[in-house]
Amino acid sequence: MKIGTIDVKVSILSIGVFVFFTLLLVGTSVINPAIRPQLIWLIPCLFMLLVIPIALNYMSRRQYADLAPEYEREAKTVRVRLINENMLGKIVRIEGVVERVHLQFLNRPQYSVADRTGSISVKMFTSPDEDVKVNDIVEVLGQVIRRYMVTGEPVINCVVIRKIDRQQKS
Amino acid sequence: MTAGPEKPGGKRVLYLEALVPLLAFGSTLAGMLLWNAGIQFEIQYAALGGFLASCLLAFLAWTRPRKDIVALSTPIYGFIFFITPIDYTGGVVLQLLYACGLTMLAARLHRRFGTGASARSFRNELAAGPLKTYIESTSDPLSAIDPVAGHHAAAAFTSFSEGDYQQAADLSHAAICRDGIPEPVVRAFSILRQHAELLDRNLPRPLTYLTFPAENAALMAKPLPGSGDPDREFLTMMDNALLLLYSAGWHASAEDRPLLLVSQGFAEKLLGS
Repeated sequence: MKIGTIDVKVSILSIGVFVFFTLLLVGTSVINPAIRPQLIWLIPCLFMLLVIPIALNYMSRRQYADLAPEYEREAKTVRVRLINENMLGKIVRIEGVVERVHLQFLNRPQYSVADRTGSISVKMFTSPDEDVKVNDIVEVLGQVIRRYMVTGEPVINCVVIRKIDRQQKS
Repeated sequence: MTAGPEKPGGKRVLYLEALVPLLAFGSTLAGMLLWNAGIQFEIQYAALGGFLASCLLAFLAWTRPRKDIVALSTPIYGFIFFITPIDYTGGVVLQLLYACGLTMLAARLHRRFGTGASARSFRNELAAGPLKTYIESTSDPLSAIDPVAGHHAAAAFTSFSEGDYQQAADLSHAAICRDGIPEPVVRAFSILRQHAELLDRNLPRPLTYLTFPAENAALMAKPLPGSGDPDREFLTMMDNALLLLYSAGWHASAEDRPLLLVSQGFAEKLLGS
């Protein structure tokens, strides 16, 4: 779904929650007619379960889209193995193969990206523009942060992740 | 590396760690004594010691190079116990259980999260491990380097670790131009410069690249691989050059040791990979 220039994606979890409560509401109102007068506010509440994640996703994706040109300008290409605690806060660019993808159903995907020198965790706090899968060759732009903000090993807080053409790369 | 100042810093941390159970249990036990002596007050206030102990534990966790998120979050619970009204028996049991928990966390912090950063920086000493062993093993050949060259080595290493590859290349070039630097260190600067320039321009490994000669093998932190895998050899040369410069900076420039201690994690990563 597009709002303006932003392609908004609703997570499977949000849709699942919406479907679950819709079925619950329909079932309950069929079994217990006393609940039907309450539908006047229950139905808008139900739709809020969908509207709020859409609004949040739109806002976060718009913010990421605004940040992308700055990251394109400032990012320094580094090898994965050389990323360390002295680089915290630096904007970096890495290229590598996606080895693992998880938490996509929350619209907060985490990737494990490896180049010839090592692998690193790449966290994204919104849905990416492209559907990135295992074995895709990608370019990542992001900031080096600690895994748990104040503690943990360095990871990349990803702002842009995009696939690179294998032939172009070789 | 003086042994003198090492003890007070370590002891101070140890005393503070011991204060955690003393505060937590002491406060509740004092509350119980007062209550049984007839001074009956809200028992929740006996949790003040537990709250202070949790703040102390969080402080100790914060000063560690590796942060313990569990210890850092304990003041939240200590504060809740302090402000929430509760009956005498329930309050005492809860506070004693909380004091047990804080004691276990303090012991865990001591055993698993090592010495506090403040104490370590006070000692100005590397943590025991392969890196320290390597640095100590190279002290004789590298002790003749002058402090300026040592500073260049430390600065080049730090710039490289921060991703400032152009600066690392410039510093290496400046050091190569100096006289009186031992040949293996000059070679390390040259290798670092080559790698830094390639990384700065995001260029791949060239067909021919600088290497350490076989007679420098005794100074190498990592064994040189066979020539069958040029990618691995190329990376090993870079690691060895960086670690040799780290050691040179450590031995020749005492002023740069705090900076090198901050980069210790990166040096350990290079050595361990």
